[in-house]
Amino acid sequence: MIIIDKLCYRSKLRYVSAAEKLLYAVSSLMICVLTRSYAAALIVFIANGILTVGKGKIPLSCYVRLLMIPIVFLIVGTGAVFLNLSKVPMDAFAVPVGEIYITASRESAFWAVNLCITALAAVTCLYFLSLNTTMTDILGALRKMHMPRLLIELMMLIYRFVFILLHTASAIMTAQEARLGNRDYRTQLRAFGKMLTALFFISLRKANALYDAMEARGYDGTINVLERNTPAKKKEMILLAVFELVLIIVAAAERMI
Amino acid sequence: MSKKEKILLKASIVFAAVFAIVPAANAMHIMEGYLPAKYCVAWGVVCLPFLIAGFISLKNKVKENRRNLTLIAMSGAFIFVISSLKIPSVTGSCSHMTGTGLGAILFGPASVSVLGVIVLLFQALLLAHGGLTTLGANTFSMAIAGPVVSFGIYKLCQKINVNRRVGIFLAAFLGDLFTYCVTSIQLAFAYPSEAGGVGASAVKFLGVFAPTQIPLAVIEGILTVVIVIGLETYAKPELRSIGFFKNKKGETQDE
Repeated sequence: MIIIDKLCYRSKLRYVSAAEKLLYAVSSLMICVLTRSYAAALIVFIANGILTVGKGKIPLSCYVRLLMIPIVFLIVGTGAVFLNLSKVPMDAFAVPVGEIYITASRESAFWAVNLCITALAAVTCLYFLSLNTTMTDILGALRKMHMPRLLIELMMLIYRFVFILLHTASAIMTAQEARLGNRDYRTQLRAFGKMLTALFFISLRKANALYDAMEARGYDGTINVLERNTPAKKKEMILLAVFELVLIIVAAAERMI
Repeated sequence: MSKKEKILLKASIVFAAVFAIVPAANAMHIMEGYLPAKYCVAWGVVCLPFLIAGFISLKNKVKENRRNLTLIAMSGAFIFVISSLKIPSVTGSCSHMTGTGLGAILFGPASVSVLGVIVLLFQALLLAHGGLTTLGANTFSMAIAGPVVSFGIYKLCQKINVNRRVGIFLAAFLGDLFTYCVTSIQLAFAYPSEAGGVGASAVKFLGVFAPTQIPLAVIEGILTVVIVIGLETYAKPELRSIGFFKNKKGETQDE
């Protein structure tokens, strides 16, 4: 039901240490956002593409389609950053509309391009993490970083419940569809609201039943699960360090020029 | 057809195709990597006190009765699911509810702040809405500012005896609008306009996102009314278990 979640279980990089993938994704992300360097962003974009599609064997069509998700925000948001409504025309171009101009300056055009590249590179970092690491592994890594226990427990339960609820919701929506619940827009809205109402109390009932079941099996406040132990490999860690170092050097060199 | 026209035609087809496969107009999450680093950190710091307060309140609830843990988790999953389902929309583009208004009315702003940050993290990782670096900014607009306004308006309408349905509608509608305004202002602070500074920039962002966000807020308001009224009719015992009704008899006088 959630495409990213389905794909990450198929990834060939799934059994690489989660902490290592997390470290790679977050440090590349931070370098991109902090330095805003064109070259570093380009390298990250390409490296993530190779890692996710080439090594992780995530289908290219899925990857491209996923990259399209934030593009509306990117176009609309960057348009707003870049274009100005002003009485004086600026140096890049100016389209007169009545008395004012829709105009942009050269500097802001560079800004806009930089923003797009950085944001897309950052998105590929996020995708590298989420398309190659299962949520349970990410939570395991967070637990090792000593996040508050209650928070981790909540996240784990929420993650499990999401699928139960999505399943229930889709069953209800199929039933509504079969009974002409989407006949016109008014009915459609009402049906959607009713579905969520039903979903809400089904979910609370399920939560209670689940608690009873856990209590009966000796639940004492923590859910203990066995984890597959996948230690980080030395070679990979060295490669990672070299890669990040190269990124920093490239970004610094770009700033010098 | 001249060569230029052909190119133009092809370009327009590509453009249309890109927009046709794009699941347009989700709730206004600031995308990954879009904010400069200092704003990411600043918004995260602003969120911290709210999150800590929310966390302590959740911790006490769980300590009081351990059964609350599964209830709270289910509520979080519910918020995630309503924000991931496509809502029916007139234009055929797909949009999503934010769920902030409903969450605030049902669970109160304190729980929603912590559940909100978890939901936003999951949205970033599982749905690619929002991101890790912009988590702080998104949390502030969607899990703190929006719900607090919704909750405040909901309570205010009860105090001054506004029609219940109108009160719920206003709470969800204005909460949504406020979220959208806060996001626009966050973007404006990060990218002030060259002609006119932060103010002009905020107007620009408000303007470009208005066509998707205002209809969405109206639809969200209507849906929230349908849901809350439905729940009050069919699910009283469940609502009592999350503390929506304080007294056993209470029909409309909740918390």
